[in-house]
Amino acid sequence: MLNYLEKHLPKIVLAPTTIVMIVCMYGFIAWTGLLSLTKSRMMPQWEFVGLDQYVRLFANPRWDVAVDNLFIFLILFIIIALVLGLLLAIFLDQKIRVEGAIRTIYLYPMAISFIVTGTAWKWILNPGLGIEKLFRDLGFAGFEFRWLVDSDMAIYTIVIAAVWQSSGFVMALFLAGLRGVDDNLTKAAKIDGASTVRLYWHIILPLMRPVFFSAIVILTHIAIKSFDLVQALTGGGPGYSSDLPANFMYTFSFNRAQIGMGAASAMIMLFGVLAVLIPYLYSELREKK
Amino acid sequence: MNRQTPLSINIGRVMIYLLLVAFALLYLAPLYVMIATSFKDIEEIRSGNLMAPPLSPTFYAWTKAWSSACTGSECEGLAPFFWNSVKIVVPAVSISTIIGAFNGYALAKWRFKGSEFLFGALLFGCFIPFQVILLPMAKLLGSLGLANTVTGLVMVHVIYGVAFTTLFFRNYYVGVPTELVRAARLDGAGFLNTFRYIFLPLSTPIFVVTVIWQFTQIWNDFLFGVVYSGAGTQPITVALNNLVNTSVGGKEYNVDMAAAIIAALPTLVVYVVAGKYFVRGLTAGAVKG
Amino acid sequence: MGSIRLNKINKSFGATEVLKNINLEISDGEFLILVGPSGCGKSTLMNLIAGLEDITSGEIVIDGKDISSESPKDRDIAMVFQSYALYPTMDVARNICFGLEMRKTPKKEQEAILKEVSEVLQIDQLLDRKPGQLSGGQRQRVAMGRALARSPKVFLFDEPLSNLDAKLRVEMRTEIKKLHQRLKTTIVYVTHDQVEAMTLADRIAVLKDGEVQQLGTPYEIYNDPVSHFVADFMGSPGMNFIECVVKDKKLIIESSGQRYELTVPCEKELVDSKLDTVLLGIRPEMLTEVTPEASSPYIQEISFDVLVIEPMGADTVAIGEWNNTEVIARLNPDSGKHAGKEFKLQVDTSKAVLFNPNSGLRLR
Repeated sequence: MLNYLEKHLPKIVLAPTTIVMIVCMYGFIAWTGLLSLTKSRMMPQWEFVGLDQYVRLFANPRWDVAVDNLFIFLILFIIIALVLGLLLAIFLDQKIRVEGAIRTIYLYPMAISFIVTGTAWKWILNPGLGIEKLFRDLGFAGFEFRWLVDSDMAIYTIVIAAVWQSSGFVMALFLAGLRGVDDNLTKAAKIDGASTVRLYWHIILPLMRPVFFSAIVILTHIAIKSFDLVQALTGGGPGYSSDLPANFMYTFSFNRAQIGMGAASAMIMLFGVLAVLIPYLYSELREKK
Repeated sequence: MNRQTPLSINIGRVMIYLLLVAFALLYLAPLYVMIATSFKDIEEIRSGNLMAPPLSPTFYAWTKAWSSACTGSECEGLAPFFWNSVKIVVPAVSISTIIGAFNGYALAKWRFKGSEFLFGALLFGCFIPFQVILLPMAKLLGSLGLANTVTGLVMVHVIYGVAFTTLFFRNYYVGVPTELVRAARLDGAGFLNTFRYIFLPLSTPIFVVTVIWQFTQIWNDFLFGVVYSGAGTQPITVALNNLVNTSVGGKEYNVDMAAAIIAALPTLVVYVVAGKYFVRGLTAGAVKG
Repeated sequence: MGSIRLNKINKSFGATEVLKNINLEISDGEFLILVGPSGCGKSTLMNLIAGLEDITSGEIVIDGKDISSESPKDRDIAMVFQSYALYPTMDVARNICFGLEMRKTPKKEQEAILKEVSEVLQIDQLLDRKPGQLSGGQRQRVAMGRALARSPKVFLFDEPLSNLDAKLRVEMRTEIKKLHQRLKTTIVYVTHDQVEAMTLADRIAVLKDGEVQQLGTPYEIYNDPVSHFVADFMGSPGMNFIECVVKDKKLIIESSGQRYELTVPCEKELVDSKLDTVLLGIRPEMLTEVTPEASSPYIQEISFDVLVIEPMGADTVAIGEWNNTEVIARLNPDSGKHAGKEFKLQVDTSKAVLFNPNSGLRLR
């Protein structure tokens, strides 16, 4: 009996987590999936209406805006954060004397919540008293910067704040990758007469492929989940011009009593994440073999 | 072939240093603006600009943000919400870390049929957008009588944090030689004794990494906070957002900034004190995930 | 006491059969070595004896008691691991006593055992160090101390010397042999190093692809191998294998325009086999410089083109071509100096062995 217990202790230890995982992750996903097929509004009700909620969702101009915004945000955020992070990492990798301090400075925004970031940038980008006034005081009398209240530009303020928060993290990822490059390789390339630029472009960057991959996956993940930043920085406004799907989901589920459609939007978000994640995991696993 | 004169090397290096410092200043600027603004009075904010240092520093904004600013209908400052966050963070971090340690140990060193699959299934939990579990979890909390309670929030954070903590510990313990477990088994130590006498003493670094990660995640959480908390149980991020968006009388940017700094302070302090572990957690959570 | 009987042991991981029908009797106090190339299943077999892995079928009997399904801690077995597996956060003393501590041996007794063991292994000055502060050889001693402390029925050694440098390896080998002579506890020892196997073992079991190829004393394994594989595996430099044509109980070899007829000891078997060609196995020490006083029907002088000379100190290895095969000869250092083209050697076939070139099995 005691031996039996001892033998199965690992499984017993893992059992609660397994059960909770099955219920609260997979069960809940299924629940949300089912809910998205019902006409639930205020409370869940189990009258199934097929894909009606999805049809309504995609017909909703607000969802349209949110999805468009997500793509704008995703593309700009990823490209800028990657380029900036990579450049900073390469520069920092040149045996810089105060590397530790500089690295700390680049990375500190990552420790701050998106709500604080949003609050801070909301003030910095304040039309009237923020950057606009700073530049006018510096002598650019006609300087205007009102993206925060411009429904065409508000989404870009979110890009700015998100890049500020996350690019240091991308830098850290690349720096770790660069530090992992075999020293002999760079020595060999230098003996072969490769210039620094060629060395990075032809030899080191190709080696950073896995880092690019993970950085893109993580940034995508951050972008799709971004909810707090929008909430704090623009509140989705002006109007709903800077909404992201996460904000749409929240608004429709909890403020508009449209939980059927909220569930449908959540499922679309899940599919979005899976669309990025599955190829990534697939290539990861294949490389290991 | 690629002979550079000492002068050109120097110019190149100077450029690198200049760029790095410029970016460091850029990253620091928002923090500086927050601090400077928080010490100004509202008159100075209107007359000066973002970068101007406070000429007659005042603690007005800080005291107000801490104890009397309005966060919706009540006007008690951030203090009660700060303590709410503490009450959520402490148990949630401890419980999820301990569960993660056992799970990770079992998954790394006591593999059984299906344990790798279990780990994969759990890993997936690090990636799902939480929107997809938001509605059913609200229902579950409601039926458990935990809606709008600190206990409910702790539970939610534990459930969705365990995926990360397990991942951290599992990946750390995988690096510990399996022969140690075998030696201990022959010496008569079972699952628990091997953990207690051999793995636990080795685990300080991973405990630090995990605790910091969980602390930052949970302290900075907004989504669960805004959805699952009630009037008296909101965490500080939610209160900060309410504070900023409540405009009784004129907009007090200095109070907003002081409040934002208060909300960011705990995680910033942790970052400054234990930055090394913070970065390790970020890269471990990211790259390995 | 510590006799082990392995009865029809099978082990598979999923569809892969790692061990196939292993039967071994190890008597009390014996030093048995399991040897074979990597992947032959020798480490798995050891893990099965220790109870670290479950057998698929068969039984393991220690001192007449079937312990196949008992957990490792109840088998009264101690093991020395390849990586030593010392507990990194414990000092040497606690490492040695951990097994006693887990078995709730009284503190007083633990101390007495610790004192005795550490003196035997000469690690008594290291007791308060952590494994990280020890050299490879010291770690090895501590790992052995940990096994010794429990005075188990059986010691298992899993390639214990493979992480040491060459000189230390030889030293520790001697130490292990002395220790065994002193304790007379049963030892099962896994290695892929045939020198270790030869020098330490009472008996050697040669494994290949999960099967025991041959079980015997080092002398038997070396001089009387059952197959081409065993012959090839044991001995350094390895045995020479030369394919020869069979004609009238003799082996015909043609090399550099010369024709040789070799007489071999196993003529009857050769004839019975009815083979046209056989694989002649001959150890390098049977190919030496010419010693005029030696005379026997098995000794013959040949001409040999030496291509490479490797002086080893005590003797010189000459590698050359004979019968279109690379052949290794063992010369004394003086005559080794003159080795070159068309060098005269003598071949002694009195201990030569013959193999069926198709099956690799010995003709006997």
